[in-house]
Amino acid sequence: MVEPRKSAHPPSDSPPQNLGKERDELLKSLSGGQRLTDEVVREYQRLQHRLMELETENAGLRAKVETDVAVRALLEKIENLEAEKSDLLSRFQEAEAGRFEFGAQAREVETEFANLANLFVASTQIHSSLSPRGVTRRIKEVLAQLVGAESYCMFLANAEETELVPVASEGVPSGALRPISVDEGRIGQVFRTRSATVNEESDACEGSLDEPAAVIPLTVDDKIVGVIAIFSTLSQKKRFSTIDFELFKLLGQHAAAALVSASLFVQAERRLPGLEAFMDLSV
Amino acid sequence: MAEYSCLIVEDSPMMRQLLVFALARVKNLRVTEADDGVDGLRKLAAARFDIIVTDINMPIMDGLKLVKRVRTDPVHKDTPIIVITTEGSQEDRQRALQLGANAYITKPIQAPQVIATVKELLKIE
Repeated sequence: MVEPRKSAHPPSDSPPQNLGKERDELLKSLSGGQRLTDEVVREYQRLQHRLMELETENAGLRAKVETDVAVRALLEKIENLEAEKSDLLSRFQEAEAGRFEFGAQAREVETEFANLANLFVASTQIHSSLSPRGVTRRIKEVLAQLVGAESYCMFLANAEETELVPVASEGVPSGALRPISVDEGRIGQVFRTRSATVNEESDACEGSLDEPAAVIPLTVDDKIVGVIAIFSTLSQKKRFSTIDFELFKLLGQHAAAALVSASLFVQAERRLPGLEAFMDLSV
Repeated sequence: MAEYSCLIVEDSPMMRQLLVFALARVKNLRVTEADDGVDGLRKLAAARFDIIVTDINMPIMDGLKLVKRVRTDPVHKDTPIIVITTEGSQEDRQRALQLGANAYITKPIQAPQVIATVKELLKIE
C-alpha cells in the first residue's frame, strides 16, 4: 500500500490529520474483513467437501442396507420355496403312491374281468350245443384254448362204475389210451375221492399219461360220472393259475351235465319236451 | 374322439367270443368277426379296418396266408396285424413277423395282453 506523501505545509484543501488515521484504520479493518472472508470461504469449501464425503458415505451405507434387506427377502423367499417344494414333493409322493395303488387295483379288476369273461365264455360254449359231438368239441376247445392243455382225455365211467372209458382225447397217440380201473392210479383215485388233483411236483407241460398234470372229476347233479385228465400243457404253460382252477370247477360241474343233456336230446330224437313237461315245477 | 375298427379272424366261436369280450374293454373300438382267412379277406375288401387280429391255425386259409395277402392289399398294406397261435416257438414267431405281422400273442390268450397289444399298435392311451 502506498503511503500518502507528507508536506511541510498542509494544503488548504488537505484533509485533517485524524482523517488519515481513520482511513488507515478503515483500511486495516477492511484488510481484516478480507482475511475473515477468505477464512469463511475456505471453511465453506471444506464443509462442502465434507458434505460430499458424507453424502457418498450415506449413499454407500444406504445401498448396503438395501442390499442386506434384499438378501434377507431373498433368503426368506428361498425358505418359503423350499417349504413349498417339500410340501409339493410330499403331495407328489402321496399322489404317486395313490396312482400306483390305483394302477394295481385297475390291473386286478382287469384280471378279474378277464377271468370272468373266460368262465362266461366257457360256460356258454359248453351249453351252446345239443349234440354230444358238439359238446365234446367245445369241452376240448375250452381245454385247449383256455386252459392251454396239449394232451388230455375225457373218461366216462361204465354202468357198473368199475372202469373209466376214454371217450374223447387230444394229443395222445392212438392206442395209448385204454379203459382204466377205478382202483388204478391217480385217475382212478380222483374218481373215487371226487376231488381234483394237480401235480405240483413238476411243470404242467412235462406231465405224462402216468403222471397227468391235472385230473378233474366230472359230476352230474352231485353224482360222479367220469374224469378229465390233462396229461400235459403247452410248452409255454408251466403252471396252472387261479383261473385254470376255476375252469376245472366249471368243467367238472358243467361238462358232464351238458354231455348228458345232449345225449338225452339225441335219444329223444331231437324233440323238445312239450309244455306238459314243465307244468309240475311248483313255480 | 376317433373311432377305430378291428377285424377278428378266428375259426373258433369260443375264441372269437373271448376276443370280442376282451376288445369290448377298448373304448371306441368297433369289432367285426370273420370265420377264417377267406371270410377275413371278404370283409377287408368291403370295409377299411384299423387293426387285424388273426389266428394262425384255421381251415380254408390260415393266418399266415392272410397276413401275406393283406400286405399286398393297397388299402390295408400298413394295417397293424396281431397273430394268435398255439405255437410258442421262436421259429413261428419269426415266420409271422417276416410276413408282415406286427405282434404275436401265444395261446392261451390273456385278455389284458390282447388289450394292451391292440392299444399299443393303435397308439391309444
